[in-house]
Amino acid sequence: MKSSRTEFLKTFGGFAILTKQVAVEMMRPPLYPRLVIDQMYQVGLQSLPLVFVTAGATGMVMALQFGLGLEKFGGKLYIPKIVSLSIVREMAPVFCSLMLAARVGAGITSEIGSMTVTQQIDAIRALGTSPIKKIVIPRVLACVIAIPLLTTAANFVGILGGLLVGKNDLGLDPVFYVQKVLQTVTIADFLSGFAKTPVFAFVIAINACYFGLTAKGGTQGVGNATTKSVVTSSITILVGDYFLSKFFWIFEQWL
Amino acid sequence: MAIIDVRHFAKSFSGKAIHKDVTFTVEEGECVGLVGGSGIGKSVVLRSLIGLEKSDSGEIWIDGQEISKLSERDLVEVRKKVAYVFQNGALFDSMSVYDNLAYPLREHTPLKEAQIRERIREQLDEFGLIEAIDKLPAQLSGGMQKRVGLARAMMIGPKVILYDEPTAGLDPYNTIKIQELVLRLKKKGVTSVFVTHDMPTALNVCDRFCLLANGRVMDEATVEEVKLNKGGKIEQFIAGEVGG
Ligand SMILES: Nc1ncnc2c1ncn2[C@@H]1O[C@H](COP(=O)(O)OP(=O)(O)OP(=O)(O)O)[C@@H](O)[C@H]1O
Ligand SMILES: [Mg+2]
Repeated sequence: MKSSRTEFLKTFGGFAILTKQVAVEMMRPPLYPRLVIDQMYQVGLQSLPLVFVTAGATGMVMALQFGLGLEKFGGKLYIPKIVSLSIVREMAPVFCSLMLAARVGAGITSEIGSMTVTQQIDAIRALGTSPIKKIVIPRVLACVIAIPLLTTAANFVGILGGLLVGKNDLGLDPVFYVQKVLQTVTIADFLSGFAKTPVFAFVIAINACYFGLTAKGGTQGVGNATTKSVVTSSITILVGDYFLSKFFWIFEQWL
Repeated sequence: MAIIDVRHFAKSFSGKAIHKDVTFTVEEGECVGLVGGSGIGKSVVLRSLIGLEKSDSGEIWIDGQEISKLSERDLVEVRKKVAYVFQNGALFDSMSVYDNLAYPLREHTPLKEAQIRERIREQLDEFGLIEAIDKLPAQLSGGMQKRVGLARAMMIGPKVILYDEPTAGLDPYNTIKIQELVLRLKKKGVTSVFVTHDMPTALNVCDRFCLLANGRVMDEATVEEVKLNKGGKIEQFIAGEVGG
């Protein structure tokens, strides 16, 4: 019990220290824009198919389930409204972040973890350069830039998924669907989902880098680190989502 | 003054003292062999010499500067002077041999890409690795990886080189290759610390030996003393009479 508590405190302290180092080193030259762009490609473009499938499937399932449920009460016409709002406010940001915590987080941790156990991270330091600058900052920036963009794309794809099911299975007019969506979703709705994503992105990247840099003991250590990274990011996203939703909810009331 | 001067270096890991009081010096141009049993902490000492590991107490003087309390940022200047050759090369496996060698030049020199290419070709020629220039590390044998690692460490002309078991696990051909390279660098006046279990090689390249045991330098002897069987504890260690 005591050891798991110290483990938790150590990990949490590790995140804090890494975050501080990232903040400090971001202020000092040299920065490596090329590395950020490389990572944006890895994190962003390469994740597009996954994000599209996730968002599309979510939108389709929601339209179908709500359609079946609401049809009995003649509430089919509310489907565009319900689907678009839940996609934009909640489903797209959270589901995409969870999927990316798995895909991107695991990728980053296993890559950095392998570098750590084969002394490549030590070599970066020994050659007079900083692993924070060379490895961590490009990944953090790439995630914080790419994941919100991916989520925005996911919003469209999710709503489109709902439209497909609405038209084919529920007999809704696509033009009506689009009009309803446009009437319903406000900038505030969009922002309340969108604004969560840089936070989730940061959590994914810092977690993934931390567990990679602290990997020990060969290939098995890298595997363990990867598991921890994905689990920690996913839980933080799910729990953090509640608090962020609450925060934005209060904020919207106040506006 | 000695170029490396370690005074009362102590280091423990999670409460277990690995080093209690390690004291030794290395003169400019000298090659000192650091020997001792497995797990005795040779790599820890070597890593501490460029601040990869922080000491708990004691002083480490490199070229007239006390480095044990320097920040990562201030260590950059030290690391330009002191190169570290990792046990398995520690090449960046996502980069070609060319990019691995270009890395220190791109970071620490204002050279243009054409000049960098020139320098790398020269270096690879000298190391007998020119055919590997566009290969990825995974396409090279272990021996070649170690030689590329050594070539990369040499790119910006360090004054001191730290070798961590450069010949471990190599066939006789590659062992001799590494030996030749170390001797050639030594002739150029580079100072070195040589951690190894490979005594035949060590006897060929080192001028002096320090035996690490029980958290301190137990004994020192010059290579002549060892060859004339006057090496004391080091002699016994080499003969396999005392373990780590
Ligand atoms: N980062 C670390 N965390 C915990 N323990 C460590 C760490 N680095 C080294 N040690 C411990 O310190 C001791 C000395 O390790 P070191 O690698 O320096 O030995 P060595 O003399 O180089 O051995 P070998 O000849 O096998 O390479 C070992 O018992 C090792 O477990
Ligand atoms: Mg060692």
